[in-house]
Amino acid sequence: MEINWGLIWPIIALQAVLAVTALVSLTKAETEQIRGPKWMWVLIILLGNILGSVAYFIGGRRAS
Amino acid sequence: MMEPVLRIHNLTKHMGSLTPVKGISFNLERGSCTALLGPNGAGKTTTLRMLAGLLSPSQGEIRYGNSGETGADNQRWQKRIGYLPQYPKFYGWMSGLEYLIFSAKLSGLPGKQAKLRSLEVLEMVGLQEAANRRISGYSGGMKQRLGIAQALVHEPEMILLDEPVSALDPIGRREVMDLLDRLRGEVTILFSTHVLHDAEEVCDRMVLMVDGRIAEQGELSELRAKYRQPLLLLEVEPGEREADWLRSLPERHFIEEAEIRNRAARLVVQDMDEARAALVREMADAGIRFQRIEAGASSLEDMFMKVVGA
Amino acid sequence: MSMFWIHFKKEMLEAARSYKWIWVPAVFLLLGVMQPVMMYYLPDILMMSGDIPPEAAALITVPPPEEILASTLSQFSTIGLLVLVLSAMNTVAGERSNGTAELVLPRISSVLPMMIAKWAAMMSLLILSFVLGYAGSAYYTSQLIGTLEWGPMLGAGAFYIAWLAWIVTLVLPLGAVLRGPAAAFIALGSAAALTMLASLLPSHLQWSPGRLSAIATECLTGGDPSAWAPAVSAVCFMALSTIAATLLLKRRPLLPQA
Repeated sequence: MEINWGLIWPIIALQAVLAVTALVSLTKAETEQIRGPKWMWVLIILLGNILGSVAYFIGGRRAS
Repeated sequence: MMEPVLRIHNLTKHMGSLTPVKGISFNLERGSCTALLGPNGAGKTTTLRMLAGLLSPSQGEIRYGNSGETGADNQRWQKRIGYLPQYPKFYGWMSGLEYLIFSAKLSGLPGKQAKLRSLEVLEMVGLQEAANRRISGYSGGMKQRLGIAQALVHEPEMILLDEPVSALDPIGRREVMDLLDRLRGEVTILFSTHVLHDAEEVCDRMVLMVDGRIAEQGELSELRAKYRQPLLLLEVEPGEREADWLRSLPERHFIEEAEIRNRAARLVVQDMDEARAALVREMADAGIRFQRIEAGASSLEDMFMKVVGA
Repeated sequence: MSMFWIHFKKEMLEAARSYKWIWVPAVFLLLGVMQPVMMYYLPDILMMSGDIPPEAAALITVPPPEEILASTLSQFSTIGLLVLVLSAMNTVAGERSNGTAELVLPRISSVLPMMIAKWAAMMSLLILSFVLGYAGSAYYTSQLIGTLEWGPMLGAGAFYIAWLAWIVTLVLPLGAVLRGPAAAFIALGSAAALTMLASLLPSHLQWSPGRLSAIATECLTGGDPSAWAPAVSAVCFMALSTIAATLLLKRRPLLPQA
């Protein structure tokens, strides 16, 4: 099977951007702004792939 | 007599089956400081929210300025009111300075002026150090001070403050009271509180609300004089005879009002001299072993406690 | 106009500070790009796994480019729409439940510019995210599978944006009476209901904006559907939603217990 790595790399890079953004947001937030412990979200973001980061962005932060 | 900046007539608010405000009327004069006093649940917050334009009255009217017009005139007035809710909530992702600039612009200040004025009020409330920090990192006291800053940022002619000192520690309370004292005369102040002492400290007028109605209002000095009544306080040793005698006190013709406890009595009397002479004689004749007799006068505090407790 | 800009800038800054401008477009781009890649390599993967007899695997072929793009749209209809609605659910509901409305509303004489600004900010994010994801999908499809025609592709994209837009706009009026998650849930539920009804009773619901996603797919796969009525009604829906949100927020600016 021939794999076109030129097209696969951007996908991996994009996933990395998503996860890094989520982690940056998590580190910068005050502890009380985050629902649940921070380390739990680190695991969800790193292991949960796209959906892990999406879950953090939607449900991880308390409004203001 | 000074001109009124706000006239409220028969203001009423229904909310479902409740009527938190039941037809209140009062005026505010330009530059005056008025305390809206009353226990929790008296309708103070609802009244202030109507004045700030957040709730619309069910009945009655609110007139700003002395023009007598309503409608469009009121809209213009909205910009000249500063409002601090009891629990002010900000956008945590903004810095204190950004929030004030945003508020000032909403109230119609042009960009440059909005920034200058924001820096000015930040300094006034002592938040200049924290100006560029995110509000989510502010302490409770800092948020309260930011709340006051936003109420002042557009240079309003009148400020409405809902329990501005209730949530603060003694130092924070002192700072806010001093700030209000400095603002007196420049802006018309109406602030609500459930503590009479706060009202007496900075205000010259008060409106006492109980259960949605105005129980009393007027100049503090006049009210003090009005509610100054001769008062006798008695304290006796524990004993059967003493207790019986205390209980018989309300029958005396010279006693207007009596509050009898087990070993003490608080008596409002018509004529202090007559009452004093009669009671001392009675006590000597009956052999009442008193501990303390004190002649004094009832205060505003007594009136407040009575009206609120009733 | 100036009031609109003050609110619009605030909404944009809020979206930037909460990283919405990064993560929502990133999710759409990923969804869009992964679809053609998955579909292209699927036959190979099945063949290699060996669980399927080679004769059956030979029947699984890579679909034509138009169908790949249509399947990307159906990805956007589930995860994409969910992400958009959930990320927008607190635009109005949050102002009420956090209590920030109590400080903002007394300052403004009209709520409409604020509501239009909120809508415009939502639409900016929606259009950027969709265009990136859709363009990414089209690029990957053309690289891996075959060329696409511009006309149907652009038409389908425009109808699809209209479909996403009217659903996302529902969170404005719903958020003025409910809390954020409830508003999101009802917006998604009513969108699903309208879309399903439109496919069950096509003759009765010619005008339904719920048809727009099906129309977009039809555009791609060679049909020439008449789409003016649903497109116009989607625009009306959005205008009505925004006005309703304005009136509702003015009536009940605070949560009952606050």
